[in-house]
Amino acid sequence: MLQHFDPNKDYGTPASLSEKLVTLEIDGVEISVPEGTSVMRAAALADINIPKLCATDNLESFGSCRICAVQIEGRRGTPASCTTPAEAGMKVTTQNEKLAKLRRNIMELYISDHPLDCLTCPANGDCELQDMAGAVGLREVRYGFDGENHLDAPKDTSNPYFTFDASKCIVCSRCVRACSEVQGTFALTIDGRGFDSKVAAGQDEDFLDSECVSCGACVQACPTATLMENSVIEMGQPEHSVVTTCAYCGVGCSFKADMKGDQVVRMTPYKGGEANHGHSCVKGRFAFGYATHKDRIRAPMIRDSIDQPWKEVSWEEAIGFAARRLKEIQAEHGRESIGGITSSRCTNEETYLVQKLIRAGFGNNNTDTCARVCHSPTGYGLKQTLGESAGTQTFDSVMQSDCVLVIGANPTDAHPVFGSLMRRRLREGASLIVADPRHIDLLDTPHLNDSMHLPLRPGTNVALVNALAHVVVTEGLEDKEFIAKRCEGDAYSKWRDFISDERHSPEHMEAVTGVAAADIRQAARTYATAGNAAIYYGLGVTEHSQGSTMVMGIANLALATGNIGREGVGVNPLRGQNNVQGSCDMGSFPHELPGYQHVADPVARGRFEAVWGVEIDHEPGLRIPNMFDAAIAGQFRAMYVQGEDIAQSDPNTQHVEQALRALDCLIVQDIFLNETAKFAHVLLPGSTFLEKNGTFTNAERRINRVRKVMPPIAGKEDWEVTVELSNALGYPMDYSHPSEIMDEIASLTPSFKNVSYEKLEQEGSLQWPCNDEHPVGSPIMHVENFPIGDGKAHFAITEFVATTERSSRRYPLLLTTGRILSQYNVGAQTRRTDNQAWHDEDILEVHPYDAEERGIKDGDWLGISSRAGHTVLRALVSERMQPGVVYTTFHHPHSGANVITTDNSDWATNCPEYKVTAVQVEKVTQPSEWQKNFHDNHERQQSFLKEAAAAAAEAQ
Amino acid sequence: MSQSEMDRLVQMINQIAINNISAGDENAVAEMIAGHVQKFWSRRMKQMLGEYVEQGGEELHPAAKLAAQKLSAQAA
Ligand code: SF4
Ligand code: SF4
Ligand code: SF4
Ligand code: FES
Repeated sequence: MLQHFDPNKDYGTPASLSEKLVTLEIDGVEISVPEGTSVMRAAALADINIPKLCATDNLESFGSCRICAVQIEGRRGTPASCTTPAEAGMKVTTQNEKLAKLRRNIMELYISDHPLDCLTCPANGDCELQDMAGAVGLREVRYGFDGENHLDAPKDTSNPYFTFDASKCIVCSRCVRACSEVQGTFALTIDGRGFDSKVAAGQDEDFLDSECVSCGACVQACPTATLMENSVIEMGQPEHSVVTTCAYCGVGCSFKADMKGDQVVRMTPYKGGEANHGHSCVKGRFAFGYATHKDRIRAPMIRDSIDQPWKEVSWEEAIGFAARRLKEIQAEHGRESIGGITSSRCTNEETYLVQKLIRAGFGNNNTDTCARVCHSPTGYGLKQTLGESAGTQTFDSVMQSDCVLVIGANPTDAHPVFGSLMRRRLREGASLIVADPRHIDLLDTPHLNDSMHLPLRPGTNVALVNALAHVVVTEGLEDKEFIAKRCEGDAYSKWRDFISDERHSPEHMEAVTGVAAADIRQAARTYATAGNAAIYYGLGVTEHSQGSTMVMGIANLALATGNIGREGVGVNPLRGQNNVQGSCDMGSFPHELPGYQHVADPVARGRFEAVWGVEIDHEPGLRIPNMFDAAIAGQFRAMYVQGEDIAQSDPNTQHVEQALRALDCLIVQDIFLNETAKFAHVLLPGSTFLEKNGTFTNAERRINRVRKVMPPIAGKEDWEVTVELSNALGYPMDYSHPSEIMDEIASLTPSFKNVSYEKLEQEGSLQWPCNDEHPVGSPIMHVENFPIGDGKAHFAITEFVATTERSSRRYPLLLTTGRILSQYNVGAQTRRTDNQAWHDEDILEVHPYDAEERGIKDGDWLGISSRAGHTVLRALVSERMQPGVVYTTFHHPHSGANVITTDNSDWATNCPEYKVTAVQVEKVTQPSEWQKNFHDNHERQQSFLKEAAAAAAEAQ
Repeated sequence: MSQSEMDRLVQMINQIAINNISAGDENAVAEMIAGHVQKFWSRRMKQMLGEYVEQGGEELHPAAKLAAQKLSAQAA
């Protein structure tokens, strides 16, 4: 028998990846396992379960409890099976009188120092100590319970999500190892020795005050009730679970939603999830309470004007009202006067339906998605160079990288589970190069080997990547064989001439980027000569006026060094929201049908027309910023927005608000009254990921199932609402389950041809392209050829053009924006959870030099002005940035961070330049005008909502 | 058409021009710009550009102007 892997079983120690097999005998059963497998795991694979306490299969074995002792023929003593590797010809005995006695003695010692409150303990029924006491047949405790013990040890309840009850700790150090090995934070240690040893967080602090990031790995690893979720303490053990996918970031972690009826007791990261292998972060694991928050919109609402209170109505009335308004507006102002926005948070099926409704039901291509404001340059840049708008690798690929180049991304905060995996590889010795204006936490990875930081000025990415490529080419570090074989020759020689020019040299660019030429040369050499070098990038690359150019520059660099098309290398966009990849794949952009097929392509369009039974416009529609401009101009009059908060997330808030106010009809479908909904005429209740079926596609192109665990709070899954709106508009849609929508997607999208719910059920997940050529998907892309031209990659010319947004006398500082771990995007979800404990306001980080010049101290109120607007935030003096650069997040709407950001955008895609805004900062005493208005409008719109609820209650 | 909407379109196409200035001679750059506009701009945005270039297209980068003229010729 070989490996069979049951994600619900604990095999005790991690799998060995060796291809060489060894055969041994355990309790008379012969078994072959990969060399390096422990005796414990080998036994578990043969369904022989050796008792264990300190071992678990996502941690290296430790050998401290000794309860797993076995006997091996020809060896002395009773070795621990978790630390003993299986060897060919071994004969192992796991059960006999001697072993049983030994195990009982060990157990007795543990239990004599353990509170015997099993019946009232929250872990009752899910405690490995309890199970092992049963397994070894413990019947008496001869030492009594009166000896010295830890039963009075205090509880640490500082973390809002879990409790540390030290009285129950058996000091197995699984938590300590989980925090170091799996999470990579090293927040926990075992303090003291022998009887006095205990688990300590940080410098013997509370969990909340320590470096702990609340990922939950220790809680997961703890075999007892010592580290326990508060929700389990409150609600008791779950009775069933459903595997689903996290709805926060683009890592797309798989979770078991552990349920009691239709209530979620906890989210347990699922070991069978290919993206996360049983790990999680604080958002996915703990921040799910927003789903049942009192602010959820529970009934459809309508109103004629945004200055009126809402009126609660039936679904039928709301949909009818919306459809009537849309039709009237089109009749009066033309077919192109309406449009819609799909969401990167909704499922593939929902996104597909919204763009279908717009193209087929509205009869125009005015569809766009929030990916416009994050990764649209990735779509453009990768398509131009590599031929496909997608990252090239799996997450696991990083474990084979020798050099990791991170540009404009902050994985430990924004993609935490992948950040942990990356840290694991860095601890194993891979080199790290970070190109970022800020000193990100990845640079502080404990046990980091070789690392360097290129702290470039905001807005100079292209200058930097060109300088790196210049070094590669002029120092002869190219992979000539790869280029000759895999890249288009003409484009390459043009590019080579371009990039070899002295104007791109690090020495020339030093004055522009602010990074020492010698550092750029060293970074280029490290990247080019590492062996396997991989690039990971985020919004620090895309959200610039040259976002698309930079993406192409990154692709050029990878191509020139042959770092594409195998494990350990590649170009990897880290996607912000859960389904950014999917929303782009599903044809949300105004110029592209699903699968990135251009609307002007008559063959592709013809296929859609045949299935949809309508004629599709062959001209692209409007992008979000063009929709806003057209709205202000009176040409664009109505919008259907599903699951997006453009009023908070898009730049130049005052401009966006002006556009939204100009609309005759705004239909918002969302789970809360978000900022955009304050400008809406129709509010349709959305459903959370827990309330619907569907799929999300993560940053590695992995299609994962989302499974419904509770009924939708207002009665409908989001896709059902779109179906009804479409039917009311007279374009019939008829689906009874999202699987049917996926079947339609597969029939029209070549890269999804073999995707179906049935196959997802079988395989767990699928990475597109998934077609006849790749029947179970494609983990690594571009292995043989590129889906462009004649199969050869295309070097692109990447001229550096400085942004027009520069510091001046009036606005001498550069503001750049980012994210933090505990909050997610506009914060609508995480602000309604206990994640607020970590970050309850956006603050402005200012370098000590700039702070001193302005007399700024921590906690001061700062007025921030740009040419777009003015807002007020609190100060934090910090050395994470260079002098001249200030930084903030935009998780809280009243911060108004986007009041400041301008409408500058990427030349190719109009992705906003969030990462560079020239500002002035000064001490102030009161909120900005915009903030005061925001506050007033917020109060007013909330009262409109309350009035609606009161009226509805009265009517009943 | 509003002034600010037109200003934005001019700004957009000029930005496309400047970012592709190394694509070759002015004609090659114009080809590139025209291709981009053709592929990504909406019908009405293209029409507005056409009207603007007809009226002289003063604020357009030379390569952008040439591109706009090419597009108008194609559309005619
Ligand atoms: S929650 Fe995560 S970071 Fe915090 S102590 Fe546990 S493993 Fe470490
Ligand atoms: S807290 Fe749990 S995992 Fe950590 S040492 Fe104690 S019993 Fe083991
Ligand atoms: S937010 Fe991202 S990293 Fe965290 S659990 Fe969800 S998918 Fe995983
Ligand atoms: S399980 Fe092997 S020593 Fe603890």
